[in-house]
Amino acid sequence: MPLGLADIGLLLLSFLLPFILLLVGFPPFLRFLARKGRLLDDVHKNPPSKVPGPVGPLLFLAALIGELVVAVGFQSPVPVAIIIGTAVAFGVGLWDDLYVLGGKTKPVLLLLAGLGFVGLVLFRPSLYSSAITFPILGNVNPHLTIYTILAVVAFPVVANAFNMMDSFNGEISWFALLTSLALLVGGALHYAATAGFDLARVASALPLVAIAAAFLVFNRYPSRAFDGDSGSLMFGAMFAGLTITSGVEIAAMIAIVPAILNSFYTLSSVRGFVERRKMAARPTYIGEDGLLHASLDAGAPSTLVRLLLLDGPLSEKDLVTNIVYLTLLACLFSVGISVLTWVI
Amino acid sequence: MKLLPVFLIEATAFLLIIAETYFFFDFVVPVGSISHSLSDYTLSALLKLGLTFGLVVLWFVVMIGMTRLYVRSKTRNVPSSSS
Repeated sequence: MPLGLADIGLLLLSFLLPFILLLVGFPPFLRFLARKGRLLDDVHKNPPSKVPGPVGPLLFLAALIGELVVAVGFQSPVPVAIIIGTAVAFGVGLWDDLYVLGGKTKPVLLLLAGLGFVGLVLFRPSLYSSAITFPILGNVNPHLTIYTILAVVAFPVVANAFNMMDSFNGEISWFALLTSLALLVGGALHYAATAGFDLARVASALPLVAIAAAFLVFNRYPSRAFDGDSGSLMFGAMFAGLTITSGVEIAAMIAIVPAILNSFYTLSSVRGFVERRKMAARPTYIGEDGLLHASLDAGAPSTLVRLLLLDGPLSEKDLVTNIVYLTLLACLFSVGISVLTWVI
Repeated sequence: MKLLPVFLIEATAFLLIIAETYFFFDFVVPVGSISHSLSDYTLSALLKLGLTFGLVVLWFVVMIGMTRLYVRSKTRNVPSSSS
C-alpha cells in the first residue's frame, strides 16, 4: 500500500522526536544524576569505575512521547496498549533500581504489564490477532484464550530476557537496536502484504528503534550511561507489546534467541530466579591481564558470556562484539523468516 | 570461525522454536476440541499438558546436550585447577 505524505511525515516524527530528545537530553540528565550521586559500578573495569544511572526515566519519557505521536497522528489505540505494558515494566524496574526487588518478585510483578496490555482488548478486541502466521505454512487456527495467556506471560519472560542481556558496556543498547530493527522489518513486510493492516502497528516500533539508537551513543564502550533495570525491563516489555500488535511473533522470537539462550543457561544453572546481586559467584572475573575470563567456580552461573569466554579471555569490547555478531545472525534469520512469511 | 559452534547452538535453538511452536498450535491446541463428555475433556486437557511439557523438555534436552558437547570440547585440554 502506498504511503501518503502525511503518513511519511508522521513516521519521521515518531522516530526523530524521541531520538533528538534523547541526544539533547542525555548530557544534562547525566550531569544531574552525577550531582545527585546516582552512580552505578562499572564492575568489568579494572579498577571499577562509576557511571551515571539509571537513565531509564529519560528513555521512558522518550518512548512515551514517540508513542503519543503515533497514537494521536494515526488515531490508533495500539500505541496506548504498548505504553501501558511498557509503563508497568518501567515502574517495576525503577522500584528495583531504587529499593532492589527479590529475584521472584520481579517476574511476578511484571505479569501486571501483560495484564494491563491485554486488559485493553476488552475495549478494543482488534488489538491483536490470535492466529499466528508461520513462514511458508501460513496461519494456524486462532485460539484467543491460549494466545492471551501466552501474551500475558510474554511480558515478564521477554522483559527479564532483555534484563539479563544488560551486563556489559553497550550490550543492551546494541541488542535492543538490532532486535527492534528486525521487528520493524517484519512489521513493515506484514503491512505491505496484508490489505487493511493498520500502519500504526508498524509506526509504533519506530520510537523503540529511536531510543535504542540514541541510547547506544551513550551506552557503547566505554559507557557514559547505564539504563538500570528501569531501562532494560522497559525495552523488553515494549518489544513484547510490539511483537503481539505487529503479528510477527515467530520472527520476533527468532531475533531474541541470544537472550532466550542466555536466560535458559542462567536459570538452569542457578535453578530458578535469583537476584543477580545475590548470586553466590559471578560467571566471569577480570584477570591480572585486564581481560574477562570464564569463572572456574563450579557454583558460578553458566551464562552465554561464560560460554563465549571458554574459548579464551576477551576484552569487554571484544566480548560485546561477539554478542553483537550472535544477535546479528539471529536478526538476519528473523528477517529471512519475515520474508518467507509475508513475501514468498 | 571461533563463534561457529555457538552459531550452531543458536541455529538449532531457533529451528526447534519454530518447529515446536507450529506443532503446539497446529496439533496440541486442537486436541479434543470436539469432545462433549467431562471425561473426554479431562483426558484431552491432560494430553495437551503432557504434550506441551514434552515439547519443553525436548528443547531443554537438546540445548543442554549441545552445550555440554561444546563445553567438553573447550575444556578437554585445560588442566584442572586441583591438579
